[in-house]
Amino acid sequence: MVQPWTADFSITLWVVLMGFFVTAACGLVGNYLLLRRMALVGDAISHSILPGLVLAFIIFKTAATWVAFVGALAAGMLTVLIIEFIHRQSRVKPDAAICIAFTTLFALGVVLMSMLEGTGSFHIDADCVLYGEIAFVPLEPPAVWHGHSLGPPSALRMAIVLAAVILTIAVFYKELLVTSFDPGLAKSLGMRTGIWHYGLMGALALVIVSAFESVGAILAVAMLIVPPMFAAQLSERLPLRLVLTVFHAAASALIGLHLSVWLNCSAAGAMVVAAALLFVVVWIGSQVQRMMHFRRKLPDPRTEEVRVVGAST
Amino acid sequence: MKFPGIVIVTIVAGIALLAPEIAVAARINELSDSTFLDRTVRFFTFRDPSLRNALMGSMLLGICCGLMGAFLVVRKLSLLGDALSHAVLPGVALGFLWNMSKDPVAIFVGATLVGLLGAATVQLLRATTRHKEDAALGFVLASFFGVGICMFTMIQNLPGGNKSGLDKFMFGQAAALGRSDVILLAIVTALALCAVMVFYKEYAITSFDAGFARSLGMPVQIFHYSLMLLLAFAIVSSLQAVGVVLVSAMLVIPAAAAFLLTDRLGKMLILSAVFGMVSGGTGAFFSFVGRNLPTGPFMVLAAAAVFAVSLFFGPRHGIFSRWWRLRSRSARISRENTLKAIYHVLEDEEFETDQVSGRELAERRRETLEEAENELNTLRRHHYVTLSSDGGSASLTPEGWQRACEIVRNHRLWELYLTNAAHIAADHVHEDAEKIEHILGEETVRMLEKRLNYARRDPHGRLIPGLEDIQFAAGRHTVPSRATGFGSATN
Amino acid sequence: MNDQTNSTPPPLEVHDLTVAYHKRPVLYGIDLTVPKGSLVGIIGPNGAGKSTFIKAIMGLLPISAGWVKVFGKPFRDACHRVGYVPQRESVDWDFPVSVMDVVLMGRYGRLRLAQRPTKQDREVARECLEKVKMLPFANRQIGNLSGGQQQRVFLARALAQESDMYLMDEPFVGVDAATEAAIITLLRELKSRGKTLLVVHHDLSNAREYFDMLILLNMRLVAFGPTSEVFTPEVLQTTYGGRLTILSDVVQTLRTQ
Repeated sequence: MVQPWTADFSITLWVVLMGFFVTAACGLVGNYLLLRRMALVGDAISHSILPGLVLAFIIFKTAATWVAFVGALAAGMLTVLIIEFIHRQSRVKPDAAICIAFTTLFALGVVLMSMLEGTGSFHIDADCVLYGEIAFVPLEPPAVWHGHSLGPPSALRMAIVLAAVILTIAVFYKELLVTSFDPGLAKSLGMRTGIWHYGLMGALALVIVSAFESVGAILAVAMLIVPPMFAAQLSERLPLRLVLTVFHAAASALIGLHLSVWLNCSAAGAMVVAAALLFVVVWIGSQVQRMMHFRRKLPDPRTEEVRVVGAST
Repeated sequence: MKFPGIVIVTIVAGIALLAPEIAVAARINELSDSTFLDRTVRFFTFRDPSLRNALMGSMLLGICCGLMGAFLVVRKLSLLGDALSHAVLPGVALGFLWNMSKDPVAIFVGATLVGLLGAATVQLLRATTRHKEDAALGFVLASFFGVGICMFTMIQNLPGGNKSGLDKFMFGQAAALGRSDVILLAIVTALALCAVMVFYKEYAITSFDAGFARSLGMPVQIFHYSLMLLLAFAIVSSLQAVGVVLVSAMLVIPAAAAFLLTDRLGKMLILSAVFGMVSGGTGAFFSFVGRNLPTGPFMVLAAAAVFAVSLFFGPRHGIFSRWWRLRSRSARISRENTLKAIYHVLEDEEFETDQVSGRELAERRRETLEEAENELNTLRRHHYVTLSSDGGSASLTPEGWQRACEIVRNHRLWELYLTNAAHIAADHVHEDAEKIEHILGEETVRMLEKRLNYARRDPHGRLIPGLEDIQFAAGRHTVPSRATGFGSATN
Repeated sequence: MNDQTNSTPPPLEVHDLTVAYHKRPVLYGIDLTVPKGSLVGIIGPNGAGKSTFIKAIMGLLPISAGWVKVFGKPFRDACHRVGYVPQRESVDWDFPVSVMDVVLMGRYGRLRLAQRPTKQDREVARECLEKVKMLPFANRQIGNLSGGQQQRVFLARALAQESDMYLMDEPFVGVDAATEAAIITLLRELKSRGKTLLVVHHDLSNAREYFDMLILLNMRLVAFGPTSEVFTPEVLQTTYGGRLTILSDVVQTLRTQ
């Protein structure tokens, strides 16, 4: 159990830290996606940025992160535009439009990747796309600053992204809150809801592309959805949920690492399993609590009055 | 107009979608011993037994997914298809673990069970938490898939687990389809076809209006779950050829393409199956020709190309078709406005003459003489006017009179209706009437006339041509009388 | 209709307002001017466009023709003077916010970007909650409330906006009698302070006693004026009786083209 830490402390540490950074950043952004009922858009975009990454690589001939980010952002925006286009210009409903857009783009990405595979110049192969290889992170040559070795560059980048996400949420808390809760009110107060919507999409693209590089699409998508659901089971206050998301991220990363060592499997996959297990645990807890609640038969304020649904226009 | 732009985009997109496939196929073949042409020929002559399996399997799965996908699309469950296709991954791994080999039956059973577990989990989450549909689907999708990846990578690291066999399940490889896989696909497809044909009306009504079906005493839940079961079968049997990630595309895209081409569920099902079959076959083709590249992406791109064509050029709902209809309608409206202007000019002169000069028309319509003459020429081409020998003036033909009277009547009737029946202020009604006059059908006009008690004057006091006036005018070749504006119409 | 003794612009002026959107009913050529300090009820049958009217005024729906002026300016420039109470089901009641959080949102219009609500904002929010008798619930999550309580929270939020005109969409639907009485008392108090109120209302039986003016809407404006003048059987018959079938048919044809 302790072996990974004693055997190779720094590798283990960086794997856990990277997992934590990715999960926390995705989870925080994911809270807002969940509140806006856009969970599956997040899933869609994380698939559809693949051709963006590949094309950016082809055009700029480098796999540098900023190039990847530009490609991902462009692909993300393109996805949203395609979805809107299909939905507005035809009778196809939004759910089908989302599915069509991201699968087509993803297929395009895979085909483009196959074109490059032969030439051996693109360092990401199909497996990496899906679940990355987080174990490679600590093996990267560490970034150096003023003579101090800081750690693997992708982990540092992810830490910066996480910090940026936390800062944005803290500063623009009320704008994000009201545009997610009641866009009608927000507009009537004079806010530009469109900006916040696309801003969130941009943050999503940023978070995913930073995560994608090293941990692949799976971890990213799962961590958009599972930590917020975990937090939602435990709290009905948004600030507390955000904090809980971060704790969940840390726990998943840690437990996931040990799981992957024990099972000898992909670390990213193991972290997702850990995250899901944590959710299941709190879910069971809430069900048990409910049953005990019924036993005691406390009055429910909601049953005192009739709720009428479906007012007229 | 932004339309040419859209057309260009389509063509570019179409090329972009198909070009990589062709490019890959072509380029890769430089490295191999057989040429592109060679392999194409080999493909179409069906010499390779493995190729026959691949092609057969791909087309069968196309049909099957197309059928099931049609129901997903009309029930707005596309993302459920996506979630399920990701969620079955652990089942595939379990099936593999059963015998440590790629046993199709074990994999089928394992994947189906896990798939149904996934569907049940979605329901459970919806029932016991406050989470919404998208969250529940997303959770199942991501967590099950994560478990699957865990298991896959575990298996890869075991002695005896080989990487390539399981890799195929990610993006699909039709060439890996063995005879038993094809038989399985055939059974599933046959089952789906039978179910849909026998219970067509039940599936149709439960898709359209489940509440109503229930009120008729139909066991709606049974049909829903049977559909889910068939869906699971379709997904699981297609996994090998299309891959886990892209199965949902084969479910939704051909069905969406069919959706845009027809208004009937039956036709949609047939079209969806056909499109699926074609996409499957095309995908298998490119994969084979390209020396065993992953099939999934090519099938999806083929399906997407079909969808794009349907989206833009579908006869009824296609973007291009709508644009074309809009254009012809604009042209018609423009012609009718000119006719109306001619009528007004003649009316102002109390129908003393039936000649309208280009200059008068230009003044009336506040445009240049050249524009007016162009309009008159257009009208002449449609046989609404005849031009004088010098081309400077025109007179209405019987058809022209008829249409002009109709338009003016529609406009004035509508203004009267809005002011009297709808109590809208008199100065608001003109713009509205300008739009409505072109679309009032004869039946509606009869209703309006009746409602307004066959009034003869509009809110501004001008004459409303009635039915007899128009019929009379249509038969006329000479100028109508001055007193009433028309020949024998009574006041 | 408008006879202001001073020259300030009326709270609401609407000219030839026409709204056509998706499958919802259309509004046709609405003309009216609402005088300051009136408590106006908007009534009409289902699908008549009452909610559409309110939303079009606020720019939440696109206007196809005509214009709207709020206190003499386009809505965007005067939005801080208008408070909005939407229909209850327009909001996700599972959202993790407390009653106090929701009422504070009413103050956001006064805050700059990234500025946090101040102590004064919280004071105002508390007062508004007190006024609707919801202060004890300040920390409760909004899903754990009854219908009447939810409505009062919305009302408190609108009060916190400290607006000059309030637009309310069916505030009395699904609330208990006590809440209804409390709401109408509050509305009358607002009116006595010179605020203008437009309330979409669904229940004819009490329209006469609640409102001093009525807007009767059925795709177009049937009547607008003091309740005593317009609440007559003939007008009601025109509003609720025969729908203008030809009008709706033609409009439908226009839209499908």
